[in-house]
Amino acid sequence: MNSKAVTAVGALGLAMLLVGSTIGLFVAPAERHMGDVQRIMYVHVPSAWAALLCFTAAFGLAIASLWSAKPRYDALMVGTIETGVVFNALLLAQGMIWGHAAWGVWWDWDVRLTTSLVMLLLFAGVLGLRSFVDDTERRAAWSGAATIIAFVDVPLVYFCVRWWRSLHQIQSSPETVDRAMTLPLRINAIALLLMAIWWTVFRARLAMARRQEETVSQPARIRVAERYEHA
Amino acid sequence: MPEGVIVGGWSYVIAAYSITAIGLVAYTWSLWYRQRTAARRSQNDER
Repeated sequence: MNSKAVTAVGALGLAMLLVGSTIGLFVAPAERHMGDVQRIMYVHVPSAWAALLCFTAAFGLAIASLWSAKPRYDALMVGTIETGVVFNALLLAQGMIWGHAAWGVWWDWDVRLTTSLVMLLLFAGVLGLRSFVDDTERRAAWSGAATIIAFVDVPLVYFCVRWWRSLHQIQSSPETVDRAMTLPLRINAIALLLMAIWWTVFRARLAMARRQEETVSQPARIRVAERYEHA
Repeated sequence: MPEGVIVGGWSYVIAAYSITAIGLVAYTWSLWYRQRTAARRSQNDER
């Protein structure tokens, strides 16, 4: 994907987010019980979808990276994880604001909220792990394995509201939601997906550049160390 | 079904959308900044 195409994808995502949010804020009707607070859902739900999608993609890329040892899969994996962590953090912040309005508390150790927080900590942990490992091959292998372990929480986040009693509502279906409300939701979901692609590709390029820099500089570092040993 | 409507929700809505906008802009800026730093570093290495 060339730079212009990536920027175009990001710009389209940003434009769609502005359109979707404008419709969600000023055109869509207020919900019967939640009133205007429900408008938070037009960014909260797409953020959740984007985060879950990013982490699912990271899981697939982790398997591909471990299987093939190709650097581009590792670079894309770190891109999807970092993007997912940003959406996950936004998801929790939006959810806390909504929770305070609807439940009267900023936080509750409810199963959906807790598994979402655990998801954020696990994937942020994978990024932290990467920063501690200098060797490029080992970093790819360890973070790939850690991503697969972290992914165990992703289906839990999605299905926990169906499996266990939760304060959080279960997923709505388009049949039970008014069309005027599904429109901004869908526009914003596509918008955040496009932004996720933009960020992932951008971040993957940074990871590839860093790897290239390290593989070039590693032999040089070894030569310097050997020189000191012989001196 | 619970009765009643949550009133005065706009301050929460503004807060949620503001945090979202700040998060999106901040992360986009961080990517751009890191790319610029990496480009400068590689230019210095070439010299």
